[in-house]
Amino acid sequence: MARHSRCALTIAAILFAGACNRGNEPAAPVSTGSARGGALTASIRSEPATFNRFAPNGNQAPVEAVSMLVHAPLVRINRVTGEPEPWLAERWSVSPDGRTFTLVLRGGVTFSDGTPFTSADVAFTFQALYDPTVESSLASGVMVQGKPLQVSTPDPRTVVITMPAPFAPGVAMLDNVPILPKHQLQAALDAKTFAKAWGITTPPGTMAGLGPFVISEYVAGQRMTLTRNLHYWRKDTAGTQLPYLDRLVMEFVSGGQDAEMLRLQAGSVDLMTQADVRPEDIAALRRLRDQGSVQLMEAGIGVDPNTLWFNLTPGNAAVKAKPYLQRAEFRRAISFAIDRDAIANTVYLGAAVPVYGPITPGNKTWYSPSAPTFPHDIARARSLLAGIGLSDRNGDGMLDDATGKPVGFSILAQRGTIRERTATMIQEQLRQIGIAVAVAALDVPALFGRFGAGDYESIYHGFQASALDPAMNLDLWLSGGSAHVWNTGAAAPWEKSMDALMQQQAAAPTLAERQRLLLEAERIFAENLPQIYFVAPRVTVALSRRVGGAVPVLLDPKVLWNADSLFVKH
Amino acid sequence: MKLLAGFVLIVLLAPAIAPYEPGRQFPGYQYAPPMPPRLLDAERVHAPFAYALHAVDPIERRYAEDRSRRVNSFAGDAPWFLLGSDAFGRDVLSRVLIGARLSLGIALLSTLFALILGAGIGAAAAHAGGWIDALLMRLADFVIVLPGIYVVLALRGALPLVLSTSQVFAAMVAVLSLVGWPTVARGVRGILIIERQSEYAEAARAVGASAWRLIGRHLLPATRGFLSAQATLLVPAFVMAEATLSFVGLGFAPPTPSWGAMLHDAGAVQIAADAPWLLAPAGAVVLTVFLVHASADRSEPSSAPIFRNQVL
Amino acid sequence: MGFLLRRGLAALLLVFAVASGALLLAQLAPGDYAAQFGKTPAQIAADRHRLGLDRPFGQQYAAWLKRSLTLDLGESFQYDQPVAALVRARAANTAVLAVTALIVATAVGIPWGVVTGSRNGAIARMLRALSLLVLSVPPLISSLALLTIAARTGWFPVSGMGGPRHLVVPTLALALPIAAMLERLQSQSIGDALDRPSTTAARARGIPESRVIWRHGWRQSLAPVLAVYGVIVGSLFSGSFAVEIVTSWPGLGLLMQQALMTRDTNLVAGCAVAGAAFLAAGILASDIMLAVTDPRMGIESMS
Repeated sequence: MARHSRCALTIAAILFAGACNRGNEPAAPVSTGSARGGALTASIRSEPATFNRFAPNGNQAPVEAVSMLVHAPLVRINRVTGEPEPWLAERWSVSPDGRTFTLVLRGGVTFSDGTPFTSADVAFTFQALYDPTVESSLASGVMVQGKPLQVSTPDPRTVVITMPAPFAPGVAMLDNVPILPKHQLQAALDAKTFAKAWGITTPPGTMAGLGPFVISEYVAGQRMTLTRNLHYWRKDTAGTQLPYLDRLVMEFVSGGQDAEMLRLQAGSVDLMTQADVRPEDIAALRRLRDQGSVQLMEAGIGVDPNTLWFNLTPGNAAVKAKPYLQRAEFRRAISFAIDRDAIANTVYLGAAVPVYGPITPGNKTWYSPSAPTFPHDIARARSLLAGIGLSDRNGDGMLDDATGKPVGFSILAQRGTIRERTATMIQEQLRQIGIAVAVAALDVPALFGRFGAGDYESIYHGFQASALDPAMNLDLWLSGGSAHVWNTGAAAPWEKSMDALMQQQAAAPTLAERQRLLLEAERIFAENLPQIYFVAPRVTVALSRRVGGAVPVLLDPKVLWNADSLFVKH
Repeated sequence: MKLLAGFVLIVLLAPAIAPYEPGRQFPGYQYAPPMPPRLLDAERVHAPFAYALHAVDPIERRYAEDRSRRVNSFAGDAPWFLLGSDAFGRDVLSRVLIGARLSLGIALLSTLFALILGAGIGAAAAHAGGWIDALLMRLADFVIVLPGIYVVLALRGALPLVLSTSQVFAAMVAVLSLVGWPTVARGVRGILIIERQSEYAEAARAVGASAWRLIGRHLLPATRGFLSAQATLLVPAFVMAEATLSFVGLGFAPPTPSWGAMLHDAGAVQIAADAPWLLAPAGAVVLTVFLVHASADRSEPSSAPIFRNQVL
Repeated sequence: MGFLLRRGLAALLLVFAVASGALLLAQLAPGDYAAQFGKTPAQIAADRHRLGLDRPFGQQYAAWLKRSLTLDLGESFQYDQPVAALVRARAANTAVLAVTALIVATAVGIPWGVVTGSRNGAIARMLRALSLLVLSVPPLISSLALLTIAARTGWFPVSGMGGPRHLVVPTLALALPIAAMLERLQSQSIGDALDRPSTTAARARGIPESRVIWRHGWRQSLAPVLAVYGVIVGSLFSGSFAVEIVTSWPGLGLLMQQALMTRDTNLVAGCAVAGAAFLAAGILASDIMLAVTDPRMGIESMS
């Protein structure tokens, strides 16, 4: 009898252990001795519009970057491994049905103003996130199938989160939610002025956070200084309290990437917050690296490449005269006709690889070599085009449709960027198979104006990825999603199939199953090819030689994501 | 004057003279340096030729001469870039020549219209005086003060998405002329008001000269100096303005070359330092302005046509 | 006095007219602040409603007009701040840059022009050619050239605003083309003035040449230069636009560009008001200077 109960206990213990503690302690930085102290300067291309990540205009890159430095989430996604790691929550367990997570918060953590951190702050944060008067644009990223998470706090150190539907990434979603101080913001939420709280003129010392830094100075139009949060909870392996840096200065640099590069070379900034290095800058940077003033680090192959998509919204006026634009064969022909290597070599000077779909080789967990590809094959392109009735009827070298009108379309691209240059190359390459392309270079609001009005034939543009896991990027795949740009109207049957597959994928229990479903969805995507992908750049990051502890990754902010582990090299 | 005429002839003949089509991309030859013509090879004289280039390191944009291959025409596969190549491997010389027609055409035509319009309005204001003068000058102030960029943005929104080269040309000339006239008008008006009161003008009026004759024969020549100074200011400004206009949306669609757009692309500091041949359009602009100035300038301060007129 | 009052009123009307024009044009330009990639149509509509962008233009303009009469220029969409405060801070920075550049340009350009316009020796010809060169080089290229030199040598800081040393590169970039412009105008104008019979008469009276040039000729040559001085203030402003962007000088030009690029209409109108006020003041000042220095112009003829 005793043996049976011991057996049962062992089995129970194993099961219990299996259900507990998904995720290990975040790898603490290895102590490097006297790393503590010093200041680094980061350039940032635009000023934050607010310090309130939850405000309606709080979803821009500078606000997000600052929020990462000043606040902390319950669970953080390690940008290198892609796995969630305990952050403010030191461990969590999952219910058998996979929908309820019980997180245990770290003890002894206080905000930067000394106030203890409890689960009440977590409850308050979620309350503010989902509050309709706040209209936070962050909320839609913290929902499952359009429904909010349910958060309850049984005691000051426990948070129970229930997902409305099974969601495979699980607590990884919590990386999007910085925990805000209830004691400072509850009043604003009650008075319904939360959206305006913590605006840009808020005095620097009055915003408490759980992140490695606090804002100590803000000079409009020039710079923002962050100093060490003396109450930061994280320590390195030797027990030294992080962050290593005394100060991090963020300089607002307008004038584009040229201006930032100039400052990097002159040594007045140490790193760039948002900018990867452009291919044309690499030559000069290599020279500086050889002189020892700059470090160049490779982060991998970019995960958010630019793409050419066509206006496939049913009934849109712009393409009524050109029914061939709506045919998948036309788009597949283009994909076969384009010489991706030439684009990589010309526009990116060789620092890019061909890609054929939204998941690039840089996304190691989710990229599959069996995903459909489009090798450069002009003959196949021509036969596809002939198959839908497009051929050269009048011998002028350009294709004509059934009514004798020349085949062609316009591409809108953002003026003065690598996108415009790529569109120019596409124009030249398609001219050689007889399609006349006109490139219209516009500024972003004009571009969006035409997109919003549905008044375009095709657009070449790119969107920054916020996560590698496709289940957290459903806006692209699902009809009606904000990144589902090619069709803003009624979904076609193939889109509905893709919707179903991606929803399954987001809920499937094992990684293998999820990858299989994703591959299915990618096949449907390649059959219909609403978006054509050409190349993804190799991401290089340039830092001054003073920056130590940098681990560049493929999601923004590429260097400051682990700002608490950066130190000054001497 | 002759130099200017020769220059204009070259510009008009550009399509025949340019070695390559301005849109033709040579893959693998981005940012190639200029290949000046040589005569001697292995101590023998040949017809002018250049050594072919091959890329040593594309990302560092380094090329080396291949002394075993000579390029002596523009017809072969190996390109001969007399002024180097740009970011797409397109011949800079061809683009400067073909772009000259558009850019110079715009700059010179806009300057001409701005001068004519401005002189006309300034003369009318000076002659009419009173509330017409005030109205015209306030209008000039309004145009000066209104940020032109807003006008162009709005204009671009109203125009169809894809414009032909001649449509863009006409639109640019219109916009630049309308932006340029107020300065001219103010200056001309100022000069005419002063001259109108001078002794020889009094004399002419006493003799019974009509208003138009007075303005045309006697007063406007006094503005010649001012107008030529304005011309030398407006021409380069309009060449660059063409680049700004294309930045705000009213520009020539790729791959049509224009000096302003070429300079704008070359404006990145890195590029300008590493590939200075991309600034060739700037050299062309300087040459143009110099020629314009040389033909319009009064060379000696001591020549005095006005003085002579007065005696007659 | 009546002159000042009339012109002051005209300047005010001008500022209003420009701001209205800017608002109208911003409305006509495609796209608006709310419309951005990455938002669902529902979010965009909600933003439009929150910012009041879904009202008809007439209503929006009327509301703006009413507010501006109490000097309330509204709030910026981007920054959630009162426009007036934003504009005031940046305008002060631009003023510092503009005034410094104007002083440098005048101190360099006017004497330059007098020398080239009144003499004909080799030096004068060289100076003339130099000015032509400076004029022909597009300001974008010259500011980039200055920046590269500053970056390579490290003598001067390349960005931002911090102290007098930060002022050097932007001021030079802004002042040099204007100095050349002044030189051209002054040169032509003094050439004309020295041709006049009054000058010959002065020479005949035995006045030394240098006084003829600097006292006599120069005074008479001022009219066309002063007439466009106000416009030079205008080109200072638009030139500072480009220079501020390249050197990250936190001024009005930079703000206006950002406002324009994001279609932040209230801020666009606010910047237009500030810019117009600058320019109107400059034009007024130049007209006053003209009236004062050249009695032939006469205040009456200035209407």
